[in-house]
Amino acid sequence: MHEISLARSILNTLEAEFSSEQLGQLTEIGLKVGLLSNVEPALMQNAFEAVTTTENRFQQAVLKIETVPIVIYCEACDARSTIANYKFACSSCGQPNNNIVSGTELLIHQVRFE
Amino acid sequence: MDKAAKSSKTARGTVACDNTTLHLLKANDFVAESIRKRMAENNIMLINITSSAGSGKTTLLQETARRISGKVKMKILVGDLETERDADRLRQTGVDALQIVTGGICHLEAQMIWQAMESLNLDGVELLIVENVGNLVCPASFDLGEDYRVTLLATTEGDDKPKKYPRMFLTSELMLVSKSDLLPYLPFSVEAVVADARDVNPNIDVMQISSTTGEGIDQWCNWLLDKVKEKQEAANVVAAQ
Repeated sequence: MHEISLARSILNTLEAEFSSEQLGQLTEIGLKVGLLSNVEPALMQNAFEAVTTTENRFQQAVLKIETVPIVIYCEACDARSTIANYKFACSSCGQPNNNIVSGTELLIHQVRFE
Repeated sequence: MDKAAKSSKTARGTVACDNTTLHLLKANDFVAESIRKRMAENNIMLINITSSAGSGKTTLLQETARRISGKVKMKILVGDLETERDADRLRQTGVDALQIVTGGICHLEAQMIWQAMESLNLDGVELLIVENVGNLVCPASFDLGEDYRVTLLATTEGDDKPKKYPRMFLTSELMLVSKSDLLPYLPFSVEAVVADARDVNPNIDVMQISSTTGEGIDQWCNWLLDKVKEKQEAANVVAAQ
């Protein structure tokens, strides 16, 4: 898996967005990980610690990972369904549907500064 | 991104982030879009072939090159963690192939394709096939700028894979059930694998192929030739407007 390169990507993404003064005050990074992102939260957590420790960056920051379920939207029923067992169908009409509205996320949704 | 927070030198508290700004695959997706644009400008059909290791991607592409390299100008990029072996095998069929050695990385990224394209003469090329690293997990998340993603699933792997690796099948337009010549010897149900694949992706097309007996290979080659034509016709429509 590529959790190590994703952990580096978290650091690089934040460095591109915030000044080093701001990042000195960083205490928490909130990551949203969809069930379809192929990212394993426990491995991501380990990878983040490994990268921050060896590269001596962001060591004061905690990574909080939130997993996001797979949700599809059926236009005919105007209904959202949460997908279980990877059977992509509308729970209202039963029609096959893979119009995914959430579950593929792999993003930083909030950061906290002290 | 919260613009006020971005400009402030003394951000405090919680800052909500814009989903598109802090998407961790943003860099990859940006390069993938550049590839897509370049392929469109040159009317090149780009196909990304994925599967587990050992499901027969290279053997299929050898057979494909033998059959259609006289009808369409094609080139192949092939990714592996180490060695030039696959590119060597493909070149034996007379097709121009370039190896991308990832050096341990479990998938191809758009940047690798972009860099490889620098060393590949694309003049007159109509079909560029990327053979991804054998892995049903990581390559699923990385857009390479392809027009179509094709996933092989060998009968020897078992018929339970689409639900175990849903993202790969969700993002593929075509599933090739490979090594079909071994079906009589294996507890593999084509019906079950198609049902599972369509649970995940109702729109996925399926073909049953064997590079050994030749089953389905013509159908697969015709699919490729149709896609090449589709891209060229789309370009002609744009040019005529």
